[in-house]
Amino acid sequence: MEPQLSWYLALSALLFTIGVVGVIIKRNVIAMFMCIELMLNAVNLTFVSFASFFRDVTGQLFVFIVMTVAAAEAAVGLGIILAIFRNRESLDVDDASILKL
Amino acid sequence: MLVLLFILFGGLAIGCAVNVVAQRNPLYCAISLIGVFVSLASLYLMLAAPFIAAVQIIVYAGAIMVLVVFVIMLLNVEQDERRQIRVGFLVPAAVVLAGLLIGEVAFFLWSVSPNPTLPPSDIGLTSSIGTNLFTTYLLPFEITSILLLMAIVGAMTLAHRTGVLTPNARVIPGAQVLAASEIDPSSSHEFPTTLATGSTTEAARILEISSPRTPDRE
Repeated sequence: MEPQLSWYLALSALLFTIGVVGVIIKRNVIAMFMCIELMLNAVNLTFVSFASFFRDVTGQLFVFIVMTVAAAEAAVGLGIILAIFRNRESLDVDDASILKL
Repeated sequence: MLVLLFILFGGLAIGCAVNVVAQRNPLYCAISLIGVFVSLASLYLMLAAPFIAAVQIIVYAGAIMVLVVFVIMLLNVEQDERRQIRVGFLVPAAVVLAGLLIGEVAFFLWSVSPNPTLPPSDIGLTSSIGTNLFTTYLLPFEITSILLLMAIVGAMTLAHRTGVLTPNARVIPGAQVLAASEIDPSSSHEFPTTLATGSTTEAARILEISSPRTPDRE
């Protein structure tokens, strides 16, 4: 018996849900950032499994572009985290709840 | 055999993901996240996508996580302390939504048809991905490069710091007294202990800031 497409979809949904829960319950900015990366990876798993089961390379190209976006997000997001920490001496999101330096 | 591998790597991915959420130290979160990435790369290999698996290891587990771990080490964050949940009434809603999700996943597992039998192909190989990337999907590829350029410029703008003063600091003329050690630590004996500046531009010139912020420049 081979692993079915639905198994991969279920695994992806579980990983995405774990990421959402992490974004909601975490207070640390860096931990929230890592949970967002987890959600991106869950979507990537969906893309790759569909591409594999339908023999279409487009899904894998989408994964490629999603990875690029994740790299850009990491650079800019960590820069923002550094700026927040420099101004507030804290990484708690509740301390940075207003859009003012 | 493949089912055993799927259970192994899928279970590893879920366990590491739960650990990412459960850990309080951000460094342990990062290590668990690397575990998620590696097990997902193994799943990509099972799905006949070796190029994506390699890129997953190199870009995600390599570059991005090194950046995250570097920032964690740089900021030296303390573990976040346990606090009360502010919105206790959301707990039953969360339980209902989780039940909805489990029902949805069960419906998927029960109702989605088994794998379509398609002929084997060469998707996932590097040559196939490269051919499509540079012919059919050339425009998204170029847009991605512009996005990367914007990210570089944005990160530099965010991380750039001008001299001693912060960007929103402003020297008030006549009221600023600078310590001599701030001006030049090596030759502090030549100056008196403090140095008064008359204007913003003079202070900026002494501090060697290239472009002081002059709000009323005519």
